[in-house]
Amino acid sequence: MALLTKDKFLFGLYTVLVLVLAGFALFAPWLAPYDPYDAVMRHSLQAPSAEHVFGTDKLGRDCLSRILYGTRTSLLMTLSLVGIIAGIGTFVGVVSGYMGGKVDAVLMRIVDMMLAFPGIVLAIAIAGMMGGNIVNTILALAAVSWTKYARLGRSLTLKLRERDFIAAAVTTGTRPRQILWRHVLPNILPTIVVTAAMDIGTMIIELAGLSFLGFGAQPPTPEWGLMLNEGRQHIQTAPWLMLYPGAAILIVVAVFNLWGDSLRDILAPQRAN
Amino acid sequence: MTGCGGNGKKETDKKTLKMGVTNFADSLEPTENYFGWVVMRYGIGESLTKFDEKMNVTPWLAESWQISADHMAWTLKIRDGVKFSNGKPLDAAAVKASLERSFAKNKRAVTFFKYNEIKAEGQTLTIFTEKPEPNMPGFLADPLFLIVDVSAEASRNFAKEGPIGTGPYMCQSFVKDKAVMVKNPHYWDGEVPYETVEIPSIDDPNTRAMALQSGEVDMAVNIAAGDITLFNDKAKFHIDRISSLRTVLARINQKGILGDAKVRAAFISACDRKVYNEVILKGTFIEGKAPVPPSMDYGFDQIQDPNSYNFERAKQLLAEAGWKDTDGDGILEKAGKKLTVDFVVYNSRAELPIYAEAVQADTKKVGFDVKIKTVDYNLIDKMGINGEYDLLISNITTANTGDPEIFLNWYWRSNHSGENPQNGSGYSNPALDDKFAQLSIEFDRQKRRQLIIDIQQMIVNDGAALFFGYPETNIISSTSIEGAKMYPSDYYWLTNKIKPAKK
Repeated sequence: MALLTKDKFLFGLYTVLVLVLAGFALFAPWLAPYDPYDAVMRHSLQAPSAEHVFGTDKLGRDCLSRILYGTRTSLLMTLSLVGIIAGIGTFVGVVSGYMGGKVDAVLMRIVDMMLAFPGIVLAIAIAGMMGGNIVNTILALAAVSWTKYARLGRSLTLKLRERDFIAAAVTTGTRPRQILWRHVLPNILPTIVVTAAMDIGTMIIELAGLSFLGFGAQPPTPEWGLMLNEGRQHIQTAPWLMLYPGAAILIVVAVFNLWGDSLRDILAPQRAN
Repeated sequence: MTGCGGNGKKETDKKTLKMGVTNFADSLEPTENYFGWVVMRYGIGESLTKFDEKMNVTPWLAESWQISADHMAWTLKIRDGVKFSNGKPLDAAAVKASLERSFAKNKRAVTFFKYNEIKAEGQTLTIFTEKPEPNMPGFLADPLFLIVDVSAEASRNFAKEGPIGTGPYMCQSFVKDKAVMVKNPHYWDGEVPYETVEIPSIDDPNTRAMALQSGEVDMAVNIAAGDITLFNDKAKFHIDRISSLRTVLARINQKGILGDAKVRAAFISACDRKVYNEVILKGTFIEGKAPVPPSMDYGFDQIQDPNSYNFERAKQLLAEAGWKDTDGDGILEKAGKKLTVDFVVYNSRAELPIYAEAVQADTKKVGFDVKIKTVDYNLIDKMGINGEYDLLISNITTANTGDPEIFLNWYWRSNHSGENPQNGSGYSNPALDDKFAQLSIEFDRQKRRQLIIDIQQMIVNDGAALFFGYPETNIISSTSIEGAKMYPSDYYWLTNKIKPAKK
């Protein structure tokens, strides 16, 4: 009982932190002291001061404002990415697991093919071919990341398919579509959600990584990976340009990972026992 | 034991030089693209003439030269006693073969001069030109015309193994990331101090600076503006910085949205170039205005720029041209089309993306949406020729012939049917073409100078390009070596004058 309370307490705590981050993203226009695109070039590369708490970048833009707006970019990109891969992957997995036979074989061979490539390298290739922008990066990472959910969805569905309530539904003449929607999906959803929550941190890093390499967000978008790359040129003379975006990534990834873990503990209590 | 190790290390230090560079060449074939520059920079190839610190043409493989009375033939005396790195002696016939090879393999050659015949007799070479060529000695200094042993090509792949030239070093191995040179045993102009020269290509400017700081390389070229202060310790580093002959400019495509003279003028007026150079680039660049940098005497101060920074004028011009922000997103529209321009840049020079982003920020304030497209350097030349850009950034040397005629010709003389391929912008001004025609046959120095000033003024008036600034260039070397020197012409990096410091 005490253990459960602790889990819930931690989950509550991390949820608050996640909400705080989401708040930064939502209210960036009110929180940011300056316009993140406003280049006052005469104030280029100023060290952190009372006026610019995190300093300014090479074009004299306020780093704090850019980092706050960066929360927006990063979270929006990540959530849409995770949404896409969890949605598509689960759909493919559930269909494949429930239908079995040829459909299963074809879909799973496609998954095998995708898994045979090293993910991030393939994503770089795809993003490179399509040209660097935010949407293409999300598509590139989606193309290499959905397979995990397909595998997961399939194995969960296979387990469920043998259960009596499914057999009962089949016997009473429920259409396959209804079975999947009413009986299978609700039962596998918690596991999928936990996996997705724990994926958020990884995806933030991968998206920032692609932007760092120049395949993701393009200037002047305030995006942490891109900011790191821009700051790299001044690493010895203006280290704050890398320090703060790096710290932002660290904090956000840590918060989402902790939140994902605590969510798992809540939703899958049998593991804790 | 320790003593031995220490001595051993010193011994190799004195025999091996490490030079950190930025390399754009995929091969060492001197006639491909601009790869001849690399062949010359790496000390493999030499040309008939050479530029000194003040861009005067001086003898190199040619001892002397003179023009015929009718101005249609140049006679050059080829230096006696020069040998290629394979031991074969250099004579006029070898020079002739090499020049003809350059003309056969690279279309750029005919933009310098066209010849009817090249005659070789012993050590005397005569070039009969189609029209008078006042600047021939300067043309022959271009790395495209560096002299290679054509007969050696049968047994050697120049592209992969490097050509056989007359320079102090010859290629031992070459890949894009790293070249290794070895001493040319037959070198004609004094002793060659190093057995081996390792030339890693460190394209990222900050990494290059760090490699020099850590001692991974003994010298490095073109350290970025922001990093020069890291090398102020005179006991450890020697900085050789000079104002270069280069111009950083954006070519403007007139076949697109910037074809409208008012839109173009607005774009240029919106860019506060003084701040880019003095503040963001910390004064390592001089503010741009005209095609030819102030380091050369071609009337920089008297050229008037109608499109100097003027925010209000930029807005007004756009309004006059009919552009309005109808949907309130800050970007102007006209007839349902957004005021969007593609700005193509490459990254191997640190200042280029900085200029591009500064322009993006400045022009946004008047309603342009600039999309920066970063591409590999090797695509730039082709994209320029094909006109696949609205703006295309370049860092160009303006006087690779000792005179800016060719540079001005290449980018701004009309190109109606591919006769002037470098001008892919669609820009054409008949009055300017007339001036070019006069310049090409003018021998009088003062008249040449005035023509060049007139040409520049016309280009600036037309807003034919956006001139950002004129860079300083530098070689920074560790004090363990001496003789590393940057020349304005940027062709002579590795020479036999670079040697271990005497201590």
